[in-house]
Amino acid sequence: MVRILAAVAAVGLLALLPSFTSGYVVYLANLLLTFTVLCLGLHIVIGEAGQFSLAHAAFYGIGIYVAGYCTTSLGLPFPLSMLIAGIAAALIGVVIGMLALRMRDIYLALATFAFGEAMQWVFLNWKDVTGGPNGFRIAPAQLFGWQIVTDKDAFHTVLVSAVLMLGLTIVISRARIGRSFRALRESEIAAQAMGIPVQRAKLSAFALSAFFAGVAGGMFTLFSTYIHPDSLGFSTTILVLTMVVVGGLGSIGGAVGGAIVFGLISELLRQAPSWQEIAYGLVLVIFMMYAPRGLFAFLGDLFRRKPAGSA
Amino acid sequence: MDLDLFLLFLQQGIASGLVSGSVYALLALSIVMIFKTSEVPNFAAGEMFMAAGYVALYLLVFRDTPVYLAIPITLVASFVAAALFRRGVLTQVARASGSPVNLVIATLGLSYILKGLVRRTGFGDTPRTFPALVSNESVMIGQASVTRLDIAIFLTAIAVMAAVFALFAYTKIGRSMRAVGMNPKAAQLMGVDIQRTHMLVWGLSAVVSAIAALLISPKILMTAEMGGIVTLAFAAAIVGGFSSLPGAVVGGFVIGVVENLVGLFISSRAIVVAPFVVIMLVLILRPQGLFGGKFAIKKV
Repeated sequence: MVRILAAVAAVGLLALLPSFTSGYVVYLANLLLTFTVLCLGLHIVIGEAGQFSLAHAAFYGIGIYVAGYCTTSLGLPFPLSMLIAGIAAALIGVVIGMLALRMRDIYLALATFAFGEAMQWVFLNWKDVTGGPNGFRIAPAQLFGWQIVTDKDAFHTVLVSAVLMLGLTIVISRARIGRSFRALRESEIAAQAMGIPVQRAKLSAFALSAFFAGVAGGMFTLFSTYIHPDSLGFSTTILVLTMVVVGGLGSIGGAVGGAIVFGLISELLRQAPSWQEIAYGLVLVIFMMYAPRGLFAFLGDLFRRKPAGSA
Repeated sequence: MDLDLFLLFLQQGIASGLVSGSVYALLALSIVMIFKTSEVPNFAAGEMFMAAGYVALYLLVFRDTPVYLAIPITLVASFVAAALFRRGVLTQVARASGSPVNLVIATLGLSYILKGLVRRTGFGDTPRTFPALVSNESVMIGQASVTRLDIAIFLTAIAVMAAVFALFAYTKIGRSMRAVGMNPKAAQLMGVDIQRTHMLVWGLSAVVSAIAALLISPKILMTAEMGGIVTLAFAAAIVGGFSSLPGAVVGGFVIGVVENLVGLFISSRAIVVAPFVVIMLVLILRPQGLFGGKFAIKKV
């Protein structure tokens, strides 16, 4: 109950953000919320279901281009564009999930990696839809004549979407399907023996994860007006993976916290790309060495005065 | 397309493909070596390759070190750095949690650190080339035109591959590496020092990729992003089955030749995507790769 109240209070405070800060802070908050949804998506496929996917940026890109196309060329209202973006990404997610039926671990990681690279190539070369190397200009999102132009206009919509997706993640995790994901993660064979339809669970994990990434792409189109394929490559996938891992693989709080903490680090170091890379690398290596269960589990252990790793 | 042109393109594609393929094969070999002994796909392989290239560039261009000193220094530095990373970092990661995913993520971390460090030095800001050790005169093989440098690259790569195979097949160190890959516990009981073997494998792998860097650098423009070539090496390793050394070599040549033939016959813009199509096809049709054994199902 306390946690629910705290969460409501946090969201309430966030909702007030645009009234007392500058445009840049709001832009940053929009971006962090988008990354939070991306992290939740990756959390479902890796953290809950234990399936390695390295194509998250590709699904994000599909979401951005589909939502951008629906808004810019078809003039659809933005909730519809975002939904279509999520569904389009989910459908392709099912196709990629089929790979997971045939392979696992490293082979799956590499196959999804190959898919991600191929998709980036498509984004770069399908000039009619994506603008290719010139990038893609996204028209302002609109709903029945109300246009979202600035970051501040978009903020509340982005916040509501992020909260909805967070709620959806919690529902999924508590529902039967979430339990079957975790069973699958612990042991595919044991899960199968318990009567869990393993194949369907894998496909739904990939579809849900891609859906989240697609919606995140839709959220991005609300506050951004431009996208270039360069920002949809493997490095974005790794950024999201880093956030999920640093927060704590397998916990929803970890995914959200990781997105915020790491998103801030990466934004603060944006002016110095080389320091940014060194910082990412050191954070990843040090966390893997001393806090493999993530920042929040590590802090929890510290405050409970238990030796790390004993839980 | 008439037959003469077709034959010309075919020969040229195969000749150029074998040259670039030999470099992919070396890199794939360095990845597979580590994967065989510790089940860790080394995602820092590309950046280790890039960093070795920059060490050599620094010595040769900025310090005017003679070639006969610069090459050994580069190789030794790569060996020591990689062995220390294995000993200092990965040992602790493995101790903190048994999951192989964490080791993989630590290698990703290393790749970022190396890239950032090379950028900090400032040498990576402008694309640079490496002084060629062999002349760039062209030579005809059949109807295909290649340079002397290409031939030197190919022959050196083959020699290195032969040395690696001999090491794994006939020496005590190579046998202990294979033993650790098959069953670390049993190997330890037989008196193999696991720690030392892992360090040696990492060091050796870094040396092989440093050689690849020395070979390819005169042919390409060096940037901090040149490690991206490792994608093709991963493709080669997958085609070969990921845990087979001969597979990695064959995979490297397959990727190199396919890439060049696609460039000549279809379009130079399709070159980038060709390796991924090959990976996807191989993984879908024969997930264990061309040389991989049957999948073993993990026990519960």
